[in-house]
Amino acid sequence: MADLLVRATALDKIYGEGEAATHALRGVTFDFEEGEFASIVGQSGSGKSTLLNLLGILDTPTSGTVTYRGQDISALPKPKRAKLRGELVGFVFQFHYLLPEFSVFENVAMPSFITGRLTQEEIRRRAFETLGLLGLEGLESKNANQLSGGQKQRVAIARALMNRPALVLADEPTGNLDTVNTNLVYDLFRKINAETGTAFLIVTHDRGVAQRTDRILEVTDGELVQDMRNGYGPAAR
Amino acid sequence: MLSLRIAWRFLRSAPVQSVLIIAGIAVGISAQIFVGSLIQSLQGSLVDQTIGSAPQVTIQALEEGDPVTYDDRMAEVIENDDRVEPGSIAKIRTVSSLYSDGTDSAPLNLIGSTIAELNGIYDVSNRIEDGEASLRSDEILVGTDFAEKFGLEVGDDIRLTFQNGNPSTFSVAGIFDLGAAAFNERQAFVNPDVPASLLGWSSNEYSTIDSQLNEPFASAEVAADWRRELAGVEVVEWQAQNADLLTALQSQSSSSYLIQTFVLVAVALGIASTLAISAVQKTRQIGILKAMGMADGASGRIFLYQALLLGGIGSLSGVVLATLFIWLFSFVPVSFAVVMQPWFVLLSASIGVLVALASSIIPIRGTSKLDPIEVIQNG
Repeated sequence: MADLLVRATALDKIYGEGEAATHALRGVTFDFEEGEFASIVGQSGSGKSTLLNLLGILDTPTSGTVTYRGQDISALPKPKRAKLRGELVGFVFQFHYLLPEFSVFENVAMPSFITGRLTQEEIRRRAFETLGLLGLEGLESKNANQLSGGQKQRVAIARALMNRPALVLADEPTGNLDTVNTNLVYDLFRKINAETGTAFLIVTHDRGVAQRTDRILEVTDGELVQDMRNGYGPAAR
Repeated sequence: MLSLRIAWRFLRSAPVQSVLIIAGIAVGISAQIFVGSLIQSLQGSLVDQTIGSAPQVTIQALEEGDPVTYDDRMAEVIENDDRVEPGSIAKIRTVSSLYSDGTDSAPLNLIGSTIAELNGIYDVSNRIEDGEASLRSDEILVGTDFAEKFGLEVGDDIRLTFQNGNPSTFSVAGIFDLGAAAFNERQAFVNPDVPASLLGWSSNEYSTIDSQLNEPFASAEVAADWRRELAGVEVVEWQAQNADLLTALQSQSSSSYLIQTFVLVAVALGIASTLAISAVQKTRQIGILKAMGMADGASGRIFLYQALLLGGIGSLSGVVLATLFIWLFSFVPVSFAVVMQPWFVLLSASIGVLVALASSIIPIRGTSKLDPIEVIQNG
């Protein structure tokens, strides 16, 4: 049995107060292991993005806890959460969010620049290695604006992987891509998951994408209504 | 230093915006330096013309015409006062005379002292236009206006009549120009023994003890101290005698400060608005950097460094521009030269940088508060 990476316990998230209060998440509880390849599905407004924000250490629950490798991160002060976020989590969004002021290499290396743990040489080596993993060799010195949509999203994925995070959270990562690029990105996720052991949690409303993951978590009206092991791909853990 | 690197890239990504605001700061700081230096130099010139070649603190007898006795006590007080400019104490005896060339006549006030002491106050040796600064017992130094009026040249003999009716003849050793027509026309320098013998005063009796100070504007304080320490004499100082000039100088300074303040306020508003716009333009980038783990402090510092870069480059350009303005001004025919004081340039440039830093407070606070979720969810 793999080690436990994330444990969400009785997560509640309420926005606003009094009559205007919105209950975005209600008592969500689940475990997530190292190296898992899973998806969260749900309609718009179901609370899946709220869950992603909590798991991504971007937000804190109104009640309940999130632990990473046994450490409760829900009550940590903001700077500590920012630091842990940089080290543990990589994000891939629907929009690539590359920094147009920087080159492809700098965009990919940025998470390591922020955490400041590696030497310049190590950063360089790792950024090139990651770009190679995503088939982006030769684009290092290009500006982010000079790339195609698919290339941009792959650079964003390389950036998410730069700090070798324990978990990559991908929020509708293929929502903006055509079928060819969607398949390419999905295959890359699979490849990276297999080669590096990085866990993936993909938020999607596309059941087709979800079906290709090992585990599907379904959120409806803020509740985790289904936690299903999927027979597709490697056997569910 | 990541914040600095990002700040630099953000500035470079909007070159027109950056160059315009740097130009704005440069013009503001150069105006500040130019106006400030102009006023300082003008005032320095006015003060120098008024008191540069005149006593700043004078000790005289309570009754006009009586001598001041320069005793050990007085010597100790004056000569040991370190506010007095070294070598700028002159013991003066003055006597009135009348000059006549047969057709025309004019009063001439004779100032008797040694060349060394006169140099301390009037800088006589350097003000000689013709002849030499020499005061042997029968020699006299006259002003250019007096010499011109009576057609006198170096080597000419002039005959003066004193109050007791006795005449005496002097040889013109040199002709000086102290920069003031009234002085050049009515005053002349003679050997200190000339008035002494005419007045019948002993060797330590003088009309006035004149001095110049290291800091002319300390004259009121120095005079007050000397009044306390020296009994039976009157101590007068230049500021009390030139109240109108001082009021004019103060008014000029006030208006100059006002102009400089408004310039700085305009610069501050310019930088603040540019940074605020930049902060809005870069919201998405800041949000994503925060999502990647950048701390609030580090993201706020991006705008602090932007302000520092804009303020630093702008202020430096302002100094260069001010130097150019002042060089151009040297071709304008005025009676004084505008001099940039290094401390004032440094102060102005520092103010430019500080104003820029202060202007970054709003974007820094906004950036620190920015929640990356807002950016991520709003696309």
